[in-house]
Amino acid sequence: MNQRIGRPGEERSFDLAWRPPRRIVEQIVGWRARQISDPVERLRYLQRSASGASKHRHSLGWRRRTAIFLLGFLLIPPPTASDANISPLRIRETVPVPGEASAEPEPPPVWLVERTPDYEVYSNGLRIETRFTVSYQPRKYPIYSEDWSQIEPIGWGAEPVGIVYHSTESDQAPFEEEQNRKLKYLGEALLRYVRQHKSYHYVIDRFGRIFRIVDEGSSANHAGYSVWASGGRAFVNLNRSFLGIALEAQTQHGDEVQGPAITPAQVHAARVLTEMLRSRYRISARNCVTHAQVSVSPSAARIGYHTDWASDFPFDELGLPDNYAVPPPSLYGFGFGYDSLFEKVAGVSLRNGLQLAEERLRQDASASGLAVPAYRARLQQRYRRLIAALNAESALEENDDEKHD
Amino acid sequence: MRNTTKEVIGLDIGTSRIVAARRENDGYGFEAQLNAFVTIPYSRITENVLTKESVPHCVNGAEITVFGNEAARIADLLNVETRRPMTRGVLNPGEPQSLAQIRRLLTSVLGEAPKQGHKVCFTVPAPGVGSEENITYHETMIRQILRDFGYEVRSLNEGLAVIYGELEDSNYTGVGISFGGGLCNVALAYMSVPVLSFSTPKGGDFIDSSAAAVTGELANRVRLVKEDGFSLNGHYSEKIHQALSVYYDDMMQSVVNGLKEAFEASRNVPKLGKKIPLVLSGGSALPAGFRDRFEKLIQEASLPVQFSEIRLASDPLYATAKGALVAALAD
Repeated sequence: MNQRIGRPGEERSFDLAWRPPRRIVEQIVGWRARQISDPVERLRYLQRSASGASKHRHSLGWRRRTAIFLLGFLLIPPPTASDANISPLRIRETVPVPGEASAEPEPPPVWLVERTPDYEVYSNGLRIETRFTVSYQPRKYPIYSEDWSQIEPIGWGAEPVGIVYHSTESDQAPFEEEQNRKLKYLGEALLRYVRQHKSYHYVIDRFGRIFRIVDEGSSANHAGYSVWASGGRAFVNLNRSFLGIALEAQTQHGDEVQGPAITPAQVHAARVLTEMLRSRYRISARNCVTHAQVSVSPSAARIGYHTDWASDFPFDELGLPDNYAVPPPSLYGFGFGYDSLFEKVAGVSLRNGLQLAEERLRQDASASGLAVPAYRARLQQRYRRLIAALNAESALEENDDEKHD
Repeated sequence: MRNTTKEVIGLDIGTSRIVAARRENDGYGFEAQLNAFVTIPYSRITENVLTKESVPHCVNGAEITVFGNEAARIADLLNVETRRPMTRGVLNPGEPQSLAQIRRLLTSVLGEAPKQGHKVCFTVPAPGVGSEENITYHETMIRQILRDFGYEVRSLNEGLAVIYGELEDSNYTGVGISFGGGLCNVALAYMSVPVLSFSTPKGGDFIDSSAAAVTGELANRVRLVKEDGFSLNGHYSEKIHQALSVYYDDMMQSVVNGLKEAFEASRNVPKLGKKIPLVLSGGSALPAGFRDRFEKLIQEASLPVQFSEIRLASDPLYATAKGALVAALAD
């Protein structure tokens, strides 16, 4: 049962602590309200009485609460015209993230069953080809507060916290039996390229075979300038904090284009791989997102620098919530915008997420007492400072490494 | 400075109808449009006829879109279904023109663009029983459209709007239920403070589509039959009336079950300690015999709250919009 309580129009969770006022208070307020013949004035009086009392509820014992409640009711006179400027208690509205309030179910346990030099088999049927695996830079990344209130990290991490899904946008052959030879040739060429450039941790070819390319303890060059946040923690430049899974595909942009970009075998493979990774690293479902959702262009201050999987990613079939609907943190956290091209390639759900982020930005700007353009400029400056600090830190780190070498 | 009454509008944005309420002299004035549209092939003759008859419409390339009250009549004439910008209380995700048509319909009921500082309070549904349907997108889009028009905007839970519109005599204490086209919205308030609210997904559209499915009629046709003097009197000679009766019962039972579940889930509500009124509103509460049938179901449910009265709103089609207006004026 979903229940709500709050001032009209405000979406707040049902307040189990709500109690009707004591009988004497009710009688006094009720009597005074009934002296007001105009329905609007009567409602205004009752609302002000209630909000006047509720201000004190959460910090005091029940006896004092009752006394203040009673006093509040008694001291608030029936309204007159001069009450016009006394505004009732206002609580800033926020745009809730869809499904945020619900507790996230634990991913089912998945364990390693068998390991050989060439492959690994897991308890959910997942098989990973490992003969192409290479190591790269060790994983270590800063964690920021989701409200981006400071450019200093609140901590550091060394294990993957999320997954970014990519499409390779590589050459494709028709998925038909007669094309087997060409399909295999294109897949192998892709694997060689990805291995050489350390582009992703995993590649899923069109037959649904899963190849580990960069080992999970290393970063991979899959998400460059990018931003994501959830559960109070925020991340930038996700190469080091998120795993990259690429599906051999050319994604089709926008809602008007029909036809799946990936094969059913790839969907199944992506699902079992996601299950394993989420189980192994306790990855939140909210942190399983597509490249188009996280990619940003710092110079243009826009999101969607890369647009792979801007629409039609099969979240549901992978056992994930529709994360397209989550407002992109780069918009409301760093004031980034987006261009008409991105809007065109984005699916309905992602466009909804963009709208929610814009609304949140407007609310935050209003709460800060700034016009939206000024607030947006302030956020963009915050991003530039954060990236500059991060780059300086990386440069110092590399310098240190060189000295030790 | 307090708004003058002329500057404030209450807006009931329902799945079936959009109603705007304004204060006029000592009472209230209402403007309503059916929340539906139909597209027909363009021809100059058709366009001329529509213009001559003042039927709200617009031309989109090779099509003419007729929206609002006339959409149902045109659809019935052409034996096609109307298209709906909203479904189950929120913007219809399956209708590509939903936002464009909502914008047109709102323009139609709101009239001229407002001057600065004009205020509108619109209704939003409560979350559904047993689901976490997302109303945020719907609410945000409507808010944005109204802001684009130039209004100061606030939203209000639909069930609470019924309470603000009808339960003045009980100091806005009681249960308000709006039996709408897409949803039934229920709220309980105590001295104007909302205590709980929820919605059930069976409304007028559910009745229409279910009755249409078992009788082989178009849903639009069923709706017209339903609105043409159908009553819940227990005597039905036609199959379509029998079907309507069955699904009306189903809709009411869902609301009663929802109330029972809500009261049982809350340890606060039974402590109200006195009888409270319950008011029924919405287009789906209009058939004769509806109130009696609902009261019987309430009595059978043995709810932990006693009702001092169960009554129809003074004007069931406009109670929600009136409540939204009262809330906006009280701000």
